[in-house]
Amino acid sequence: APSAAGLGRRLRAWLPRIMPVRWSRYNPSYLEPEVKKEAYQKPLEELTEEEREQMELKAVRPIKAAPPTLSSSVFSDPMISKFTNMMMKSGNKVLARSLMSQTLEAIKRKQLEKYHKAPENEKETIECNPYVIFHQALKNCQPIIGLSNITRGGKTYQVPVPLTDNRKRFLAMKWLITECRDNKHRRTMMPEKLSQELLLAFKNEGPVIKRKHVLHKMAEANRAYAHFRWW
Amino acid sequence: FALFPPQLERGRALHTAARGGLSSVPSQDVPAEKPRAVFHTSESDPAKHTEQHEGRLYSIPLEEVKAVFPHGLPHRFQQQIQTFNEARVMVRKPALEILAYLKGSNFAHPAVRYVIYGERGTGKTMTLCHVVHYCSRQGWLVLHIPDAHLWVKNCKELFQSSYNKDRLDQPLQASVWLKNFKTSNERFLQEIKTQKKYMWGKRESTEEGRPLREVVEQGLARVRSASDAVGVVLRELKQQSHRGAFRLLVAVDGVNALWGPTTLRKEDKSPVSPGELTLVHNLRKMVMNDWNGGAIVTTLSQTGSLFKPSSAYTPQELLGKEGFDALDPFVPIPVPNYSPKEFESCYGYYLERKWLQHEKAHTEDGKAELQFLSGSNPRQLDRLAGPL
Repeated sequence: APSAAGLGRRLRAWLPRIMPVRWSRYNPSYLEPEVKKEAYQKPLEELTEEEREQMELKAVRPIKAAPPTLSSSVFSDPMISKFTNMMMKSGNKVLARSLMSQTLEAIKRKQLEKYHKAPENEKETIECNPYVIFHQALKNCQPIIGLSNITRGGKTYQVPVPLTDNRKRFLAMKWLITECRDNKHRRTMMPEKLSQELLLAFKNEGPVIKRKHVLHKMAEANRAYAHFRWW
Repeated sequence: FALFPPQLERGRALHTAARGGLSSVPSQDVPAEKPRAVFHTSESDPAKHTEQHEGRLYSIPLEEVKAVFPHGLPHRFQQQIQTFNEARVMVRKPALEILAYLKGSNFAHPAVRYVIYGERGTGKTMTLCHVVHYCSRQGWLVLHIPDAHLWVKNCKELFQSSYNKDRLDQPLQASVWLKNFKTSNERFLQEIKTQKKYMWGKRESTEEGRPLREVVEQGLARVRSASDAVGVVLRELKQQSHRGAFRLLVAVDGVNALWGPTTLRKEDKSPVSPGELTLVHNLRKMVMNDWNGGAIVTTLSQTGSLFKPSSAYTPQELLGKEGFDALDPFVPIPVPNYSPKEFESCYGYYLERKWLQHEKAHTEDGKAELQFLSGSNPRQLDRLAGPL
């Protein structure tokens, strides 16, 4: 805390004793950057009142630096970025991103080969878009209900509990990555393993879907303890 | 995390319409309502490629690919052939230039050397493959060394050559090359006869007048003498090319490896210079312009080169003084990045083959972004279009 006697003599700005290192701490007057091209291409007449006010505010206020994850590319996908971050080890985003792009390419190649070899009537059923496969696979892996440890009277019970959307997405991604890392042959490359797992999950088969079903069964078995939940 | 609705535009509807009659589009008319079909050409004989076909893709039948290119195609292109079930090569200006020179060259004069150079990923190897395809269609004998850098690094077995005490043999590389050479030039090996008796060690020998195929078989059977077999083959071809029975094309990819440093070491840990390797020594003699009845087309390559910075691409930088003096005089052929027309063609091909699956990739914004990010560099475009 600044000393009252020091205010007169030392006119420098007040700095907290602990400087945050990992999270940026901006002055509240800083505004978020706008990266979408469409926002700047709108002509002046189409803007509503509040948008005009926002534009005038941006002219006088400073703007925060854009974080590296924020992209103005039309091909950027927040789920893919999240998955890439979860695959990353010790901050090596370059490697994680290249693994992700190799995975998507591997999925596309496998599906395209199947597509070109299939007879005409089956061609529509084969999905070749790796992004559609990725999103559908993640959706298929998401559990509906989860278990949480609640201690009553010295004993810990596994209580079925609803999950938030974020938690479901996190669990689906985590299970996919751990399945690929742990239960495969040592020498297979990550893109190969991941593409295989994603294709199986897309068809609702595979070990990750099995894990989700096991969790659902456990939650069903522990229905009796559901009243322990107080939230 | 809502998915963007698929943007229907004029191109999307044409996409399905254009699938019908693609390969048979004549090169003259440019129908306004089918822009995407224009980038193919049905002319699969490189001899008939002209400026009209520039920027278009021609297909090589898959059996021909296996016969003409047992080695030599870049790895990414081989994967592409497997995925799309066809081999489509773009006709570009540098290749057309070399083909024009080859068509008009006088084979009584010493062999002209062409050096294809350019920045990384601009299509030098593919240009070389186009020229090789033309020559094999015309019935030339093609001596294609896919990557000379493979001969100067990562060699597991180095033996002292029995022919010359100072030189070193590389049996593995030599036998692999002989196998592929046999696949691509079957009929010539039967016709060309040896002019001298060659001794392989104390007991085995090849008589004079035997077909060259026996030398190759000997090299494949006795792996120890494979490098010497390669040397014999090169020597025979060079001596007999002036007679006019066949035309010889020497196609070397990564020719700067022949005069650069190596990463190989002898048993006493002293570095090996490339002149001490039998294969490199014989290839250097082949690349000299003291024979006639053919041509020498080479490519510089920084990608596999040793101890060269990644920004180096000019002949002076990559060949060094020794290499430049050895190859001088040569015809330099620069290979630039894609022109706007070529980029359109490549982009259209990827769309037509369903390689670009992302819904945004079909839009104008997506195309502009691909062009900007890749800088119209063919390799970067290929790498970027992979995950999309």
